[in-house]
Parts: sequence; structure tokens; C-alpha cells
Amino acid sequence: MALLEAQNLSVHFGGLAAVRHVTFGVEPGERLALIGPNGAGKTTLFNLLTGQLKPSGGKVVFKGQDITDATVYTRTHLGMARSFQIASLFPYQSVLVNAMIGLQGVEKSRYGFFRPLFKDRALLAAAQELLEVTDLWDLKDEVVSSLAYGQQRKLEIALSLASHPELLLLDEPSCGLTAAESADITRRIRDLGSKITVLMIAHDMDLVFGVAERVILLHYGQIACEGTCDEIRSNAMVREIYMGSRKQPGGR
Amino acid sequence: MDERRKAHGPLIDKALPIAVVGIIVLVLPLFIPSWASSLVTKVMIFGLFGMSLNLIWGYSNIPSFGHAAFFGVGAYTAAIVVMKVGLSSFWLSMLLAILVTAAVAAILGVPAFRVFGVGAGAINPIYFLLATIAFGELLSRVAISLRPLTGGTTGISGIPDPNIGFGVTVHSGALYYLVFVISVICLFLMYRLVNSHYGYALRGIHDNEKRMQALGYNTWLYKYTSWIVAAVFGGVAGGLFAYFGSALVPNNLAMPYSDISFLLVILGGTTVFFGPLVAGALYVGIEHEASNYLPQRWPLIFGAILVIAIMMIPWTRGRYRGLGPEILRLWRKVTRGAA
Amino acid sequence: MSQALVTGLNGLSYAFILFLLAAGFSLTFGVMGVLNLAHGALYMLGAYVGWQIVDSFHVFWLGIVVAAAALAILGFALYWVFLKRLYGRVPEQGVLTIGVAIIIANVVLWIWGPRAKIMQFPHVFAGVITVGGLSFPIYRLFVCGVGIVVLALLWYIQDKTRAGAIIRAGMDNKDMTVSLGINYGLVSTLVFLLGMALAGVAGVISAPITGAYPSMGDNLLLLTLIVVVVGGTGYIQGTMLGALVIGLLDTYGKAYVPQVALFFAWIVFLAVLLIRPSGLIGRKVF
Repeated sequence: MALLEAQNLSVHFGGLAAVRHVTFGVEPGERLALIGPNGAGKTTLFNLLTGQLKPSGGKVVFKGQDITDATVYTRTHLGMARSFQIASLFPYQSVLVNAMIGLQGVEKSRYGFFRPLFKDRALLAAAQELLEVTDLWDLKDEVVSSLAYGQQRKLEIALSLASHPELLLLDEPSCGLTAAESADITRRIRDLGSKITVLMIAHDMDLVFGVAERVILLHYGQIACEGTCDEIRSNAMVREIYMGSRKQPGGR
Repeated sequence: MDERRKAHGPLIDKALPIAVVGIIVLVLPLFIPSWASSLVTKVMIFGLFGMSLNLIWGYSNIPSFGHAAFFGVGAYTAAIVVMKVGLSSFWLSMLLAILVTAAVAAILGVPAFRVFGVGAGAINPIYFLLATIAFGELLSRVAISLRPLTGGTTGISGIPDPNIGFGVTVHSGALYYLVFVISVICLFLMYRLVNSHYGYALRGIHDNEKRMQALGYNTWLYKYTSWIVAAVFGGVAGGLFAYFGSALVPNNLAMPYSDISFLLVILGGTTVFFGPLVAGALYVGIEHEASNYLPQRWPLIFGAILVIAIMMIPWTRGRYRGLGPEILRLWRKVTRGAA
Repeated sequence: MSQALVTGLNGLSYAFILFLLAAGFSLTFGVMGVLNLAHGALYMLGAYVGWQIVDSFHVFWLGIVVAAAALAILGFALYWVFLKRLYGRVPEQGVLTIGVAIIIANVVLWIWGPRAKIMQFPHVFAGVITVGGLSFPIYRLFVCGVGIVVLALLWYIQDKTRAGAIIRAGMDNKDMTVSLGINYGLVSTLVFLLGMALAGVAGVISAPITGAYPSMGDNLLLLTLIVVVVGGTGYIQGTMLGALVIGLLDTYGKAYVPQVALFFAWIVFLAVLLIRPSGLIGRKVF
């Protein structure tokens, strides 16, 4: 059974159909990449899948359950998580607090109103683990707004992992990173293991081919084609669609 | 520099100076004239009022222009319980003040949060602000209409001294100590709240509500409950105010008092816990002086202070850098020097 | 029963006053995104300026014109000195304009004293028209007339002019409108000044009915806020509908069930917030 299914998803903004009759599935353990030129509707599709946007038609099914009307936070509790294209962090808190807030989101303790947060040893330990894995532990007391962009991106991904998701949606994880940083991200995503399923929006073709098993090409809100990496690589239509939009972030 | 980064040193480092201040405040009335202790009592009450608003304005980023609604409901409830219902116990009147305030906040919070926050469609809080204004003003008009209960436009006067049980009635001078005890308890509870898991969730919602939802938080629930908690502390301040001034008028529910609450938040700053309390001291001091020398012009001065404060107090991304950080810096110098 | 018609005229003229205020207020925040809570105080200032002009020069029209102009100038100063620096910061704009309102109210108190000022009905509009045994004050008809003219003007601008199109586009997507090279800043400033002038006019034409007194702004500001929420923003029709609902409800309420008259407005307000937060005829913002 597919972990996630989009069934005939559509959304309109006024007269504009941003996403049109999109149907696809993601299998457990799979690495699926979503590509397409700017404005193709990729992030909008993500917003539909995670609940930030309500579709005008179609259904989202997760682990066999229809979650089309579920709230954003309920989906997180069910096992979905996402990262954002522009780092969406807590700029005035320290890196450590960011991690703790992130980890706490699916814990019952998040409603605790009397015990100090910093006395929660279990949470501190979990935060330490998360930050060490992402090489951010040395920066734990730094205020996020003072971090370099690459470090913010790493924290962004760390936060998306904080809820121990089964399905991780990454929106342009290497956006704005240098070649070295992108390679690092690529390796980390590959190392996530088969317990996490990854659906990823990416422009960076090295990242796509380095991680993905299957690729979907979105164009004007519709699925133009899908297939394995080799199939996509050799597909003439893909080349055509990208002809005008070969410039990728990071200057590659 | 994020003032909230704590020095995780031994507790004694932080607790000792605070205990010293507490003792100073406690023995102060022995050394100053009674009109001065009366002023300090007022500082504690208004400080509590401002701090209660800061719970939502500073920590959850919920700006409210109608916080006096809860202050006034708490005040009127306490007064009505003692004078109209005839229950003379101070504790009972305060308990009822808390319950009624919580109920009013719970009811008003539902329509209010329909029009506020991520997911409500509008990031612009105008409708929410208008709603909070309307709440306070409408409640004050309710107070005017329910003459038999609330005394109408003239309000309630002659509120008796608090009866704390065991035949003890707290007379005017001693009210200082009662207010002190209650304020300390409230401040302690607030402090634990803002540093708890829940409190940090509020801070997260302040900075980035969208991300909080994506991380699994039911942000509406946090905002709604923090609204009620802030209302309750405001109601406690109101109850104390009823006993302090012995008289209440419908204006206590309306804009004139709501204005004071957010002036304290802005002046005191939202980044340091004690900010509004410090601002309360400044405010009571200025009001006292102005009322002595220019009583007719005090409202005008108040308006001018409001304008100057909002234009001059530094603000970044929803945080006011008011007196709080300055006083904190002073505090650190003093305690480090004394140590 | 037929007395209800006279009350109806009163309600209608009240609704038009509310409309003038609400239109200015809602345009300011619909077009500029600015929350101007000094609107009530400005209305009061308009009434006093109008009264002073009429008291000194005995020309009613002059009172209206001077009040509108004075308020537009004051509005410009308010914008230039303060509001420009608070761009996008809505709660701070609210606090600032509350402070300004307090200052204005107290300056008025200082200059003119606490007692209400009576303004005579201008000769042209004094007296009543008798229809079928009922007496309808001519002045109320005049107020309705002014209201209808303003409504028609604003409706025309909204639907039929380039300025109106710019405003509607700006409400939908400000950045896009600006990037199309349209001088949105100029349009929105003009709209702001127009809103201020309308508040002044509303004040002057209210004065013969209510007198000019220092707290006249407070009550009307509250009702204006309710009208704006109930009617919705973005369409002048919505503002008019909201003003009609609240104005008539309030007037009939005060006439027939004065003890509970206030609560009608409250109930409508809460109901709209809960059920239809974008207002009766408003752009969908929620």
C-alpha cells in the first residue's frame, strides 16, 4: 500500500489553476523527486499535501487514511513532516531552543506549564543528539538570526526530522547552498535510511540523481511525465521543458 | 544579544538578589510615609496588570487593546460579591473574580480568534484589535446598564477592607502586605509558565506560527489558553484594585485602562520578564507627580507619553526594547558588583 | 406605528453619518493597511471646527468646507510625521492613533471647555415637512442627501474610474500594483486624506443634531468599528449595508427598548465575527 497518495488533486486561485488533477503515490521507503520549472506548482502541491492549503478538488490519503480535511499539526502527528524552501526557523531563539521546540511538538510534555523547559533532561538529550547528528551542537547557544545561511539550512532540515516522521517532504533542500554544501546535504539525505520515505522538490540535478529512485516532472500544475532517473534523463520532453530554465540556484 | 539567554549558574545566584529585593519591598512601609506605600501598592497592582498583558502581547504576539475588560470584570466581580451578594471573604471574592474572568475570556476568545492568526486567513491583526476594543467598550456599557448590580455610571464605592478570615480585616496600611503576597505568588506562577514547555511553545508561536503548526502544535489552543490565563491574571490585578481604591467606575473596563496596560508593555519592553513591572513604577510615579502639579492636563500628558513611547521605543520583529533590558543590565552590574 | 417612519428617518440619517465615518475608516485600512483609531476624535474635532466657524461667521457651508480642509491637513501631518514610520506595523499604528486621539480630545477640552456646544440648524434646513400627519425634520433629509451623494460618488469612483481600479488592484495585491509602475503611494495618500475629510464633514453635519461635546467621538468610533466589521471591507456597498444595519438597529432599539438597545449591535458584531468574518459584503479575507 502506498504511504502517501494524491488523488486527483487540484487547487485554484481565482481563475488560475495552480495544480490540476495531480495523481501519484509514494511507496514506503521510496525516494521520489519532484522537478519542474519555476511556477510549475511544486511548492503549492506540497502545501496541499501538508495541509497548509485546502484543495478545491481531490483527496490526500496517508497510510490509508483520508487526510484531506486534517489540520497541519494532525498530519505531523500522523507521521508527515516537511522542510521549507526558505528556512523557517525561530530567529530570536538559540539553536538549542529551536531544536527543543521542534522535538517537543509531538510530545505530550508540550503542554507542561510549570516545570522549566531546561530541566527536562530527556528533551535536552534528544536535542543534543539531533544537533550532533547535524553538526550544529557547537552552535547551540547561538541565536539563529546570527547563523550563516548554510547553517540555517541544516537547522531547517534538522527541525523537519524532529518529529521522527515516516514521510519527509523536503522543499528544495539545497536551495542557495554552495556546491560543497549541496554535496553534504545529498549525502545526509541518502543516509536517512529506509525507515524514512522522502519526497523532495529539487532544481539541483546532482541532488536529484544522487538521491532519487523515481522522478515526477510537474509542468503548469500537471504531471508531464514520471519515471526512473534514467528514463527522465533520456526524455526529450524533459529537456524541452527545461530549455528556458536551466539556471539553477547556487550558480550551477 | 538575546536577553533571554540564561546563565545556567547556581540557583543561588539568581534567587538571592531577588530575595533581597523582596525583603526590601517587604520592610519598606516602615521607613516611608503611608502615601508612598500606597503608591508602591499601586505599582504592584498596575505592574501585575501590565505583566498579565505581556503574557499574550509579549510572549504569544497577541496584541490586545481591550485587556482592561478582564481587569474590570475581576474588579467588579470582587466588589459585587462582597457588597451585593454579601460574602465577605476576601479569598472567596478573589476566587469568584478569577472564575468569572476566565469564563468571560473563554467566551470572548472564540469570536476573537476566528479573526486572528495563521489559518484564520489574515496575518493583519486589524479585525482582532477592533474586536478587543469592542469587548472592553461594550462591557463598560453593560456595567452602565446593569445599574442595580454595578451602580451604573457612578459605579461602586465604599468597597470594604478585605476580610482574610479568622476575624482578621486588613486595614488600609496593611493592604500593602496582602497585595505584596498575592503579587509575588502571581509573578512566580507567571515566571514558571513562561519558562515551561508551554511557555516556550508560546515563544515559538510568536516567532513563527506557521512552523509551529508544521511541527505538530495546535497553535489555536495555545493562543486561546494563553488569552484566558492572561485574562485571569488581569482579573486578579483588578480584584486587588477594587480593594485598593475602594471604588470602581465603568471606565475601569474600557479604553482608558486598556491604554495603561499596553503603555506598560511598550515602556517596559517585551524581552525581559520584569519589564512591565518596572514600567509600572515609572508610570505610577509620573502620574502621581502630574496629578499633583497639573491635574487638568494629566490625560493630555498621558496621550503624549503614549505617542512618544510608541515612536521612540526600539522595535524589531514584534519585540519592544523598552526599559526592561536597561534595568536588567543595571541589575547585573549591581549583583555582580555586590557578589 | 406611523411614528416608526419618523424614527426610520432618524435611523437613516444616523446610518449615513456612520457611513461617512466607516467609509473613511475602512478605506484607510483597506487601501493603506493603516489602522487609524483617531477617527472618532477627528470626527469630534470636525464638529468643533464647524461649530466655531458657524459661531464666528454664521455660514454653514463654510463650516463644512473648513472642517474638511482642516482635517485633511491634520491628516497629512499625522501621516507624514508618524504613520509613515510605522509602515506595516498595525498594533503600533493603533497605539499611536489612540495617543493622538487622546491628545486631540484634551486639546479640544482645553480650548472649548467641557460643556456641549449647540449649533443651530442652518435656516435653509430648519423646520419640518409634514406628510400624512407626520413631521419629518428637513435637516435629517439633508443629512441623508449628503450621505447619498457621497455614496454615489464613492461607488462611481470604485466601479468606473481608473483610480478605483487601482485601489481594488492594490487591495488584492499591493506589490504587483506597485511593480506595474502605478503610483500607488499617491493614490493611497489621497484616499487617506479623503477619509479624514469625510470624518470632518460627518462631524459638522452631526453637530446641529447632537451638539458638539468632547466625548462624541468615543461612542461613534465603537459603532464605526462594528459597522466596518459587519459590512466588510473592500466594497463601498458593504460599508453602506453595515451602516444601515447598525444605524437602524441602534435607533429603533433606543426608541423602543432603550435598556437593551446596545446589545443588538453587540450581538450582530459577535455573530458576524463567528459566522461571516469577512462581513456581509466584503472581500474574502478570512
